[in-house]
Order: sequence, then C-alpha cells, then structure tokens
Amino acid sequence: MGLLDKLVKHLSPGHYGPQSKAAAKERLKLALTYDRGGMAQGTIEQLRDEIIQVIAKHLAINEEEIEINFDRTVEEDKLIASIPLRMAPRTARTKSK
Amino acid sequence: MAGRVITVTSGKGGVGKTTFSANVSAALAELGKKAVAVDTDVGLRNLDIVMGLENRIVYDLVDVVEGRCRLQKAIIRDKRLGTLHMLPAAQTRDKSAVSPDAMEKICTELRAQFDFTIIDSPAGIEGGFQNAIAGADEVVIVTTPHVSAIRDADRVIGLLEAAEKQRIYLVINRLQAEMVRRGDMLDIPDILDILAIELLGIIPEDEFIVVTSNRGELASLNPASSAGHAYKNIARRLLGEDVPLLPVEEDKGLFKRLARLFKGQ
Repeated sequence: MGLLDKLVKHLSPGHYGPQSKAAAKERLKLALTYDRGGMAQGTIEQLRDEIIQVIAKHLAINEEEIEINFDRTVEEDKLIASIPLRMAPRTARTKSK
Repeated sequence: MAGRVITVTSGKGGVGKTTFSANVSAALAELGKKAVAVDTDVGLRNLDIVMGLENRIVYDLVDVVEGRCRLQKAIIRDKRLGTLHMLPAAQTRDKSAVSPDAMEKICTELRAQFDFTIIDSPAGIEGGFQNAIAGADEVVIVTTPHVSAIRDADRVIGLLEAAEKQRIYLVINRLQAEMVRRGDMLDIPDILDILAIELLGIIPEDEFIVVTSNRGELASLNPASSAGHAYKNIARRLLGEDVPLLPVEEDKGLFKRLARLFKGQ
C-alpha cells in the first residue's frame, strides 16, 4: 500500500469502524443522568422490571421491545418509556393484507 | 483597584489547567493588564516550571498562609513581561496547609493589587479544589473532548453551582479538527449540549505547547502557535472584546488535501 493510499485510508471516516462520536455522546448523556440524580447504574434495569410487572397486570405487552431511557436536554431531564402492546386482532389484520 | 479573581479547574487531571493558567495570565499581561498566576496545587506544584520561573522561588503560598512572609515577598515578577507575576505553591507540604478562609483573604489582597488573579487548581474535588474556588469571582472549567474529562467537568459544574458561583465558563482544550471531521471526536456543539454552560474558548491540539513548556516559555507569547493564538483570544474575551471563536482549523497539509480530493470531499 502506497503512502498516499495509507493516508487516504487513515483520514477517511470509518477508519476505526463506525464513527465513534455518537457512542460517546449517548454513553455520556446516560452516565451524567445517573451522576446528577445520584442514582446507581442498575436503577434503569430495576425500573424496567417493575414497570413491566405493573403494566403486565392490566395489558398484554411486548416485553422484548420495551425501551426505557433517560434523555437530557438543556431544558430538562426526561424518562422516556416506549412500551409496545400486543394487539393481536390488529396484527392479524395487517398480516392478512 | 478591584481586580477579577478567576479560578481554573476541571475535576480531571491532565486536561491542561496549568498550561491554561500560565498562558492566559501571560496573554493578559501582554495586553497590558497586571496579572498574577497562583498555584494552589500544594505538594505538586507545576505552574512555576511551566512558566519558566522554577529557579526564582524563595517563599510560597504556605509561607504566606502561615505568616512566615508577607504576600508581596512570595510573588515573583516575570522578567520577560513586567506585568506578569506568579505565586508558587509549596512543594513539601500538603493541601491541609491551606484553608478556604486563608485563600479568601489572599484573594482579597490580590484583588486590590492585580487586574487579574488566575488561580490554578489541583485535580480532584477535595480540599484543594475547595481552597482554589473559595475566593473566585469567576470560574473557568477546562475540559478536553474525551468522555472522562467531560463527565468530570459536569460533576464540577454541579459543585460550583452548589457553591453559588454565578459566572462559570467552559474552555475546550486539545481539539483535533481532523478527528472531529471524521466523526471520531465529540464536536463543540455536542459538548455544549451536554454541559450547557457558556463557552469561553476552544484550543486546538498544538505541539507548540510541549515545545514551549520544555523551554519554560509561553505559547501565548509565540505568534507561530495556534494554541497560543487561542489563549490570546480567550484573554481578549475576558477583557470584554467580542472575538469570534477560531474556526476549527482546516488541515493545511498537501497530503491531507489530496486525501480529501481522492475521497471526493
């Protein structure tokens, strides 16, 4: 490999795999939410389990697809939960199309 | 005279607090302001060697605190720039030799004599940090684009807010334009989004910093240094001038340009 090729490769996005900046930002935001709230790192897993327990009593939920995250913006810290429900009849309809 | 006392801190070590303190003090002095850089890292003093004043120390901060000499006697005047001064830390003592009350008293005296008192704090958030911020009117947080430094900066911001410090600014040190361009280094908007404090300046990675500190010289007095230029801009911003942030430096090398040409960017 020539010097120039090496250089081109070295300077290209993707040289170290996918761009790492996004990972840095996401991990930092989560770590800082814990730091600021004085929470333990396991809090989110515990929260997730308990939310599932409560909701599952009343609704059929798709446990695999539950997403619970903290989000930090300049204005506020948010807990965002996305909890897909199992809606059998509607799924059946879309599949039959 | 009612000068300003500005503490430079970071939480994490090795991000460039001492280099910042030395260079911004020198830049302010060059702009005609009477400036003193104060080393509060008792036991691990370094401001003296970075500024090239290590051979001129007779008395230090702890001597002043413990009443062995007057403040005036411990302050070293730089021979290169008559307006630049330095107050060294003690090397053979530990942080408990100074207290926040003692620092406040010293800051009151310095405020009366100097336009700018720049206090270099030790790494960490323990006693040494508390001493360093005790007398501060303003605080500069130095960080780098690394996750560890940013996390520590966030922690320090929380502590400064708890200590009711109103004026807190951020300086992003050692930014590498090429890595930012590739998406492999957090960019300025990313860092500001996370830390949400006012940006005072951006300092590019610059080998001049190593070379000048090797020699006991100051990059901010060297027109060839890009970091030195950034320090000078920061000094001017502190004086209230509206200096635009340096554009993240474009690569100048022929090979880098060629590489981009090949990539069609």
